[in-house]
Amino acid sequence: MEYDIIEKVTELSLSGLRLDAKLERAARLLLDAVPFEQCVFYILDPEKNVFEKKAFAGEEITLVESYGGDQGLPGLVKKKKAAIEVYKKDPASTVWEGVDDAGLKGYKSALVCPLRDKERFFGVIYLKSARKAEVSKMKMRALGIMALQASSFIKCADMAESHERIHRELREIEERLASSEKLMALGDMAATLAHEIRNPLISIGGFAGRLKKHLGPGSPGIPYVEQVLKEVGRLEKLMNGVTSFVKDSAVNLRPDDLNGIVEEVLQLFEDEFAAHGIQVKKAFSEVSIGVEVDREQLKIAFDNLIVNAIQSMEHGGVLRLSTSLEGGMAAVSIADSGGGIEPRNLGYIFNPFFTTKTHGTGLGLPITNSIILRHKGTIEVENKPGVGVTFRVILPYLRQFRSAG
Amino acid sequence: MKKRILVVDDEEGLRLLYKEELEDEGWDVELAASGEESLEKLEGDAIDLVLLDIKMPGMDGVEVLRRVKERWKDLPVILCTAYPHYKHEFGTWASDAYVIKSSDLTELKQTIKDILGKRQ
Repeated sequence: MEYDIIEKVTELSLSGLRLDAKLERAARLLLDAVPFEQCVFYILDPEKNVFEKKAFAGEEITLVESYGGDQGLPGLVKKKKAAIEVYKKDPASTVWEGVDDAGLKGYKSALVCPLRDKERFFGVIYLKSARKAEVSKMKMRALGIMALQASSFIKCADMAESHERIHRELREIEERLASSEKLMALGDMAATLAHEIRNPLISIGGFAGRLKKHLGPGSPGIPYVEQVLKEVGRLEKLMNGVTSFVKDSAVNLRPDDLNGIVEEVLQLFEDEFAAHGIQVKKAFSEVSIGVEVDREQLKIAFDNLIVNAIQSMEHGGVLRLSTSLEGGMAAVSIADSGGGIEPRNLGYIFNPFFTTKTHGTGLGLPITNSIILRHKGTIEVENKPGVGVTFRVILPYLRQFRSAG
Repeated sequence: MKKRILVVDDEEGLRLLYKEELEDEGWDVELAASGEESLEKLEGDAIDLVLLDIKMPGMDGVEVLRRVKERWKDLPVILCTAYPHYKHEFGTWASDAYVIKSSDLTELKQTIKDILGKRQ
């Protein structure tokens, strides 16, 4: 009889069923083998410290969906790391030896076994009976073996899940890498194109200017020429953006202090902060943060982020800048209170030529992104619609760096 | 006597534009279509300032700049380019000024005035 059930549960562990289906069958098998009427598997979520009902079989006089990690009999078993046998005369009471457990209502006996292996505690098997349940030594042993088997189900399911998660994350990283490579190739192409367009454009604009001079004031041709000049000016602005997309992929890396770079960029904007009523709150790391960077390019990258922040707060706001060391990486965070990005646009903000501004080129963020990528860094966006945006630039940390002086 | 500017650019349209605009400003203008040609002109004519494009086929502007400064240490050179990020690299050494190419020549004209005005 006892060997019978162990055999069945072992077969179950080898089946391809999902975890909750496996546990549910195990619960039914258990009820056939031992004198209880209800069997519940509670699995502990270690992060939330909560027991959740994962599988159930049998009668349903009282069935508790979840327990706090230190609550009721499951909590007690977790603490003692051993099985508990409960018997109380009054089925109406929910208290046994000072432990209050709502699940005991309507039952006289209970048996709660831990699900664990040497390293981890996974949860409990909770068996209940409305009568006085007698469990033989043999059956207790068999139950212990079953609990071990069930623990191995859970562990396998956990491992399969984290395997899947890692696989999914890898695929996401792969996709991001592919798209950033595409972006860089696109940028290089745009820069080449821009260079070819620029000279003829200067000719067109320059000669339109000369034409204007020759026409003289009051000539009916003036508005036409002025229109040409205006459009050329617009295109030139766009071309300037495209060429700063940094056609030369070579970055000139030198040891530098991240705090110093951010501080220098900030100083360039002091007048603008004042003009727009923007309050700047700095939280720089107290020690200098060594990075190996192309200072001029990195300044362009931060410059673009700050320009965006200012544009989102034209009628005032708070700009928070911080630098820190996080998990062995250097981090800069730039947060504005400018209302955030519309969620439907969020996926496009790093695409070249995507803009929501009337006179934007759509190149600020792509340029910033390409510069950061060339520094083997990453850029993250945290968007809070209606509140603001935080851009976080993460760069490799240069441990050996010593600041001058 | 009018001061003489040598404009070095491989684009014909731009050479013509610079010539006309700078002549309007009262300067004499000589033209060269390549780095090599510019060095020949410098050997022959008396030039007071060189306006130099960086990106040219054959000898590029950076090489021309190096040779000019070797031979005529005091001859002012203005570098013109499409790339704003070169500014830092070249602006601080060798060339006397650095101007980003634009159809609006105001900045260029002012820069020339500043440099040649000092040398009156």
